[in-house]
Amino acid sequence: MSNSFHRVKTIAKKEVIEFVRDWRTIVAIIIIPILMFPVLFIVFPVLLESEAAELDSRIIEIEVQGEQFPEQLIQQFNYSTTEIIFKNMTFNESLSIPGDDFDRVRNMELDAVLRLNQTGEIWYYSIIYLSTSEGSTEARSRIIESLITWEANLTEVKIVEGGLDVDSTLDPLRYDGDISKSDVATEGEQAGLILSLFIPLVLAIWTFSSAIQPSIDMTAGERERGTLEALLGLPCTRNELLMGKWLGVASITGVGVMLQIVGLLFAIGYLATSDFIGIPDLSAPAIMLIIVSIMLFAIMVVALELALAMRSHSVKEAGSILGPAIILIIFPALFTQVINLDGIESFWFSIPVINVLLALRELLLDRVIVEHVLIWSLTSLLYAALAALYAARQFKREDIVTTLS
Amino acid sequence: MRSMALESLLTVSNVFKNFGDVIALDGVSLEINSGEIVGLVGSNGAGKTTLLRLMSGVYRPSKGSVTLADGNQVHNMRNTLGVVPESTGLYSRLTAWENIRYHSRLYGVSDEISWKRTLKFAESLEMEDNLSRYTRGFSRGMRQKTALLRALAHGPRVLLLDEPTAGLDITSARTVRSLVKQVRNEGGTVIYSTHQLYEAQQVCDRIIIIHNGVIKADGSPDELMSTTGCSSLEEAYVHLTQEKARMRFEDKKSDGSLGKLWNKLFKPKLPSSINLQGVDEDE
Repeated sequence: MSNSFHRVKTIAKKEVIEFVRDWRTIVAIIIIPILMFPVLFIVFPVLLESEAAELDSRIIEIEVQGEQFPEQLIQQFNYSTTEIIFKNMTFNESLSIPGDDFDRVRNMELDAVLRLNQTGEIWYYSIIYLSTSEGSTEARSRIIESLITWEANLTEVKIVEGGLDVDSTLDPLRYDGDISKSDVATEGEQAGLILSLFIPLVLAIWTFSSAIQPSIDMTAGERERGTLEALLGLPCTRNELLMGKWLGVASITGVGVMLQIVGLLFAIGYLATSDFIGIPDLSAPAIMLIIVSIMLFAIMVVALELALAMRSHSVKEAGSILGPAIILIIFPALFTQVINLDGIESFWFSIPVINVLLALRELLLDRVIVEHVLIWSLTSLLYAALAALYAARQFKREDIVTTLS
Repeated sequence: MRSMALESLLTVSNVFKNFGDVIALDGVSLEINSGEIVGLVGSNGAGKTTLLRLMSGVYRPSKGSVTLADGNQVHNMRNTLGVVPESTGLYSRLTAWENIRYHSRLYGVSDEISWKRTLKFAESLEMEDNLSRYTRGFSRGMRQKTALLRALAHGPRVLLLDEPTAGLDITSARTVRSLVKQVRNEGGTVIYSTHQLYEAQQVCDRIIIIHNGVIKADGSPDELMSTTGCSSLEEAYVHLTQEKARMRFEDKKSDGSLGKLWNKLFKPKLPSSINLQGVDEDE
């Protein structure tokens, strides 16, 4: 037994050493996972802000068409960067039909056209714009903003004319006090809820995707490079070989996933508003079960990837299989996000992948429901065992020694 | 040729090896004696590598057995073997010593013992200065020498070499051959697969000619020539292997039903439909 453990450890150690000696691996499993979310959280808002500022400073040309132009509305266009052109027009058909303005707006001679027509006491309007142009969309936004304010003014005037109180008429239902104080969920539970929305997703997708490269390298890669034959002639069993390689892939993947979650939490904790998220309140059983669920998921995913890669004759072939196979994780991971946890049917906890993701969601909310725990742990154990058996079968095939070359 | 009392070390008894419909080995029986260099000679696809893989425990016989003198199946006693496959099987991101140490550890041999044995043979192979280098930049000869050191570091009783001099320059091939003799002289047994009759004649005490999965002859070079009545080993080989050589079994391996359909749809075509009339070859 100790000899067997020694051989498994030796194989795993060698796999990790060989893998991390490639600088590309360091980038893939350390640098990218750590930096991905912080960079996204810093760069994305900065980019959004700068693009929004660029649009704000852009001179927008709007043509207002109609028989009369209400002063209150025109005053709303108080942007220094908005140029208004007035055009007297009467309309014989629907205001939304672009007519002659079709080409003018499409050719960007104008950013947008506001059409106004009063019939009785009602004002009708339409905006002719080009949705594929940022300038035109910005023009439409500015018009709508002005129209909303003008409409509020018109409404207020009507209420006053009707002898009513504006405030109580427009806002007859109000919340009393601070909304956040009336939530009986603790800050820790709220933090758990937020984390449960993306931690399982990140964990599932990253575990699968970061295990692809090492799985291929340690199986199809060895087969292609001809190193597998020498290994198969050694006095270690195929199961020891599988376990050693599994441990190698799992270690590399584990580090990658852990660093990505650290990067994600750092990004949320330090770059978003400080009260956006706190530390989730998790009981010791919940923490322990989270670890168990992740381990079972990792056993299943890594064993499955090793098996699929070992079936392949070359790195290229393995990549062609494992690349698209990520869909098997992404779809369930996305579906899991929309499943309601309150009153959830127990069968959900028996579906592969979904069971672990739901378990993680529940546990991050510190809900340890014995029935659910039993179902997901037993089914996960079963799936992990099946994946390991399948991998063992692949490793015992005689043709794994042959290469395409 | 050395003369000494030889004891049986490894026995291949009526071994058949099938890969699907393909019979790679067809009732092969032979005995390997302690302290001899046995050459396996044959064309591509003859079954040399399959036989070596059976003797190294990588393959299991479809029928028959490969046993050691104590009666144990060879795949249960792989720590008595040292194997150098044709591809050498070195890890490019490990140094030569790390490659050797990795295998030795899996054989259950301490680093001290494997280092001592490595140094001993590295001197013969002029590899001492390369042990700390990554094998990535190694020439074919250096790779082969490293693989040999790796196979010897745990002190095997039988050394299995699959075409160890293929692709080597003259000096490297000579060094490898002399190491093989050194191993034999120190009491080791070597099974040596090769295409080169001249090399087999130079190195091996005994030559086994294998053709289309069947052993055609087994004896010393002189015995092979005398039994066939030929004046050279090459003539003897040609005489014994007149039957057309088959394809390698990997080439004949059939695809699954989806693979067959795919191959049918996208089968590469020869330009038989091209009209060659009036085509001038010299143009």
